[in-house]
Amino acid sequence: MSSSRPSPLVFPDVTLPESALLLRTEVRAFLDEEHARGTVLGRPDSWLAGWDDGFSRRLAGRGWVGMALPTEYGGAGRGFLERYVVIEELLAAGAPVSAHWVSDRQAGPSVLQHGSEEQRRFFLPRIAAGQCFFSIGMSEKSSGSDLASVAARAERTAGGWRLTGTKMWTGGAHVNDYAIVLARTDETGDRHAGLSQFIVDLRAPGVRIEPIRLMSGEHRFNALHLEGVDVPDGMLLGRQGDGWKQVTGELAFERSGPERYLTTFPLLVSLLRELGQRAATAEQLRQVGILTARLHSVRRLSLGVAAALDAGASPDIQAALVKDLGTRLEGALVDTVRSILPTPADPHATPGTHSELLAFALLHSPGYTLRGGTNEILRGIITRGLEQH
Amino acid sequence: MNTHTIHTDTPAIPADDYDTTAFYAAPDTIATVTHTTAPDAVPLPSPSASTADVLAAVREAGRRAVPAPFAETALVARPLLRRAGFPVPDGPLSYAIAPELTIRYAHPAASAVGSAGCSGENDTLLVSGILRRVPWARTATAVIVLATAPSGPVLFTLAPDRAVLTPGGNLAGEPRDDLHLTALEIPASQVRRIPRHLLDEAGHRAALARAALIAGAAERCTELTVAHTAARTQFGRPLSRFQAVKQEQARLIEETALVGAAVQAAAAPLDTGSPAAAFAVAAAKTQASASAAEIARIAHQLHGAIGITQLSPLHLATTRLWSWRDEDGDENSWAVRLARSVTATTLWPALTATP
Repeated sequence: MSSSRPSPLVFPDVTLPESALLLRTEVRAFLDEEHARGTVLGRPDSWLAGWDDGFSRRLAGRGWVGMALPTEYGGAGRGFLERYVVIEELLAAGAPVSAHWVSDRQAGPSVLQHGSEEQRRFFLPRIAAGQCFFSIGMSEKSSGSDLASVAARAERTAGGWRLTGTKMWTGGAHVNDYAIVLARTDETGDRHAGLSQFIVDLRAPGVRIEPIRLMSGEHRFNALHLEGVDVPDGMLLGRQGDGWKQVTGELAFERSGPERYLTTFPLLVSLLRELGQRAATAEQLRQVGILTARLHSVRRLSLGVAAALDAGASPDIQAALVKDLGTRLEGALVDTVRSILPTPADPHATPGTHSELLAFALLHSPGYTLRGGTNEILRGIITRGLEQH
Repeated sequence: MNTHTIHTDTPAIPADDYDTTAFYAAPDTIATVTHTTAPDAVPLPSPSASTADVLAAVREAGRRAVPAPFAETALVARPLLRRAGFPVPDGPLSYAIAPELTIRYAHPAASAVGSAGCSGENDTLLVSGILRRVPWARTATAVIVLATAPSGPVLFTLAPDRAVLTPGGNLAGEPRDDLHLTALEIPASQVRRIPRHLLDEAGHRAALARAALIAGAAERCTELTVAHTAARTQFGRPLSRFQAVKQEQARLIEETALVGAAVQAAAAPLDTGSPAAAFAVAAAKTQASASAAEIARIAHQLHGAIGITQLSPLHLATTRLWSWRDEDGDENSWAVRLARSVTATTLWPALTATP
């Protein structure tokens, strides 16, 4: 309509294809089976905390892990929007998806895009079969939001590289198979240019994994100590010195997906189950309605980014915007649920009760706006992005 | 807007200062109207335009604060007339959804039971009551009224000059007039019996029109704020370079995008009707109304003093936001309706529009 309209405000409106509707029905049927099996428990934050390799393999058996990877590498060759449908169904149901989460979201696409033919042939079929789980080794003690300051270094050896340093908050390193590690290959010059990515076997000699317990007591995070780990040449991911470019190029995928607003959705379902057993007051309904409208609106924005990604665009600003809106909503949902139906938050209550789920979501809540890029940093990206239009 | 480009010619718009003759320059075009910051005409969509296109045009009208019943005409009155089988007249139109009107048949059938007359010789009605805060009633060539006759829901058209009009306005100075009807005869030719779902659709269209206007005004707030914080310098640097400003401005941009997405998502369901439309429209109006306060707050805060004066056009957008969020149902009433429509097992199917 007007050329002066700031373009980051314009998101494509998405009508999901028929194939996606069919797929959604299939996923729901699968989830019903898994529910009967007792694996799908409607838990919040299941993409961080729900590690179940058996579930991941059965999901892979349906072609729903690495599903956007090409068929020649064992993937299902499905579109990004179809993947979106599967992911959102899994998260809404609180299914245990954390084992294959990083393989499916980052490692697979990253190996496909930057990896050598050898790496593709080795890793992608295993990822798609749910037999190869990845962690991410990016953050360090002194490198949080300022990722370009990483200190872990990779030194040249005869047959490859020797990695030294400590990665922090490495989710699942104690149970997964590989980690993609960002390390410095060049100490001189531009700090962005001296970084490279490596695929590190988490069972290789010199890898020491030290648990870092969350405040809930759960063991999800680790310090990943790399004490002179030898990595063969063939495990450099992408080109030497391109690490920064490769990492930042993936951010739109990582920031705008359903996991940025659905993390605590199962808690809202639990609340509605509770409210269904009594006559809800108008005030309770009002608050549920406000949350529902916001969930719906954020989902539509997130779908807009997915459609843009599917069309080959790189909507970084829009993705940052979805992440800030969505993750703030995840936290606000927990507080609102607490206010709608006062319930003691008790982590030791029977698992799956409203009281226990509330405690779980609450103890996890500070993380929602931190992981995947601190929201304060993202807001800077959003403001700058809009000014440039 | 910044201190170098103050629009000193931006006037306030008193409620009764609209040039109604300028509403239509040509049958399908709303002309540039005096006393507005809208520099160009916003074309009224053609009858064959898709709902998404009409919605986009209404949003643009909201963005430009078009001083005319654009949304009321394009997204509510015209489609309802078409649905009810009436010809669509030229000129600005408005609407009133008024189940509280007292309606009797002017010529009760001989077999009619009771004084109200549950059927008539024909559909000529006698209507009494007050249509409250009808948007732009004083400028409209016709008001489309949806009401309940003894026989069930009806739609009739009313020339506003047949009623006694008490002028009123909203915060933005847009006309919101009361129309007093005292046993006013509405000839059968102006009356159509309608199915109940058309009554629901009327409510949906009105709420979505208002939400789309809010989306446009929100965009205007964002545009003006981004321009202002980029141009305005304090302590030797543009406001937009201050972290505190960046954080707030990003929230403004986000909230604006959120409203836009909610509105856009209701276009397709509105055409297909029923449960999906009810959900998408309720969500859109809830979100648009709920976001209005934050959008207006941040836009004003980042504009500083000039934003609260008529030297800046910001007030044209923010006063509309504060008005429109309450009109056609505020966020609380729509939120309750939205919540009543879902349960633990139907919430996710509703969000994904897949039962």
